[in-house]
Amino acid sequence: MSGLQGYVDQRVLLILQDGRAIVGVMAGYDQKSNVVLSDSKERVYSPDEGVEEIPLGLYLVKGDQIVLIGELDEALDQSVDLATIRAEPLPPIRY
Amino acid sequence: MDPSSSGIQEPFDLIRLSLSERVFVKLRGDRELSGILHAYDGHMNLILSDVEETIMIVDEEGQGAVNIAKRKMNMLFVRGDGVILVSPPSRT
Amino acid sequence: MLIFSVFKTLTDQTVTVELKNDLSITGVLKSVDQFLNIRLDSIKVLDETRHPHMMAVKNCFIRGSVVRYVQLPAEHVDTQLLEDATRREAAAQAKR
Repeated sequence: MSGLQGYVDQRVLLILQDGRAIVGVMAGYDQKSNVVLSDSKERVYSPDEGVEEIPLGLYLVKGDQIVLIGELDEALDQSVDLATIRAEPLPPIRY
Repeated sequence: MDPSSSGIQEPFDLIRLSLSERVFVKLRGDRELSGILHAYDGHMNLILSDVEETIMIVDEEGQGAVNIAKRKMNMLFVRGDGVILVSPPSRT
Repeated sequence: MLIFSVFKTLTDQTVTVELKNDLSITGVLKSVDQFLNIRLDSIKVLDETRHPHMMAVKNCFIRGSVVRYVQLPAEHVDTQLLEDATRREAAAQAKR
C-alpha cells in the first residue's frame, strides 16, 4: 500500500481538486484517504498580491477531493515570506 | 470477411494486435499521442515509447485559431481514464 | 494488475508525474498501490517560478485518479517483457 503512513503529526500541504492549497498538521486519515487536519489554513495565491492565509482550524477533507499530499519541510516553509510570493492559483483538475 | 481470420472478435483484440506497433491515441483535453504500444490493460491504461504528443490550443478570441504544441517523450504511462480512442495509424 | 507490477519494478527510479491540473512533478518513486496512488521522494516541480505552491514540499502522495501521464525511465523498462505480459493478461481475460 502506498498509503499515508508517516504523514501523521507532520505538517502537510494538501492540494485539492478545485485548486485550493491547505496546510495543516495531519491528525489522521482512513482507507479512503479522507484526511483530518488540525491547525489548518488555506493559502490563497494571487498574481497581484502576496499569499493570504485563511485559518480553517480543524478540517476534514474527503479523500476524493484530494489531488496530492506533501510533507512540508518546516524550516524551509517558515523561511519563505509568503507576503512576497506572487503566483496564479493552481488550476482545478479537469478530466 | 470472416472476423476470426483476422483474429479480431472484440474491440480489445484490435489493441492487442497493435502491440509493438506505432499507434495513434486521442485523449481528453484536445491531446493526441503517437507512440509505440508496449502494454495496456482493461482500463486502457497504456505504456508507449517514442511518443510525440500534440496539444491543440484553441484561441477563443482569435476567431478560433488553433495553436499546436508538440513535445516528445521517451517512455510514457498514460492513465486510461483520459483515453478516447486508440488506432493503428498506418491504416488511417 | 499488470501496470501496478510495472510501477513496482520501477521503485527507487526517477519518474515525472504529470497531473490533470497540468502540474509536473519529478521525483524518486517510493511506492505505488493498486489504485496507482504514487509516493514520490526528493520532488521537484517543473516551472517552479510559476508554481511556487510546493516549494517547501520534499515528498508527496499523489492520488492515482489525478494522474494524466507518468514519464518512465526507458532504460529500466523491458518492452519485450511488457508486451509478453500484456498478451498473457489479455489471454487470461478472454478465457473468463
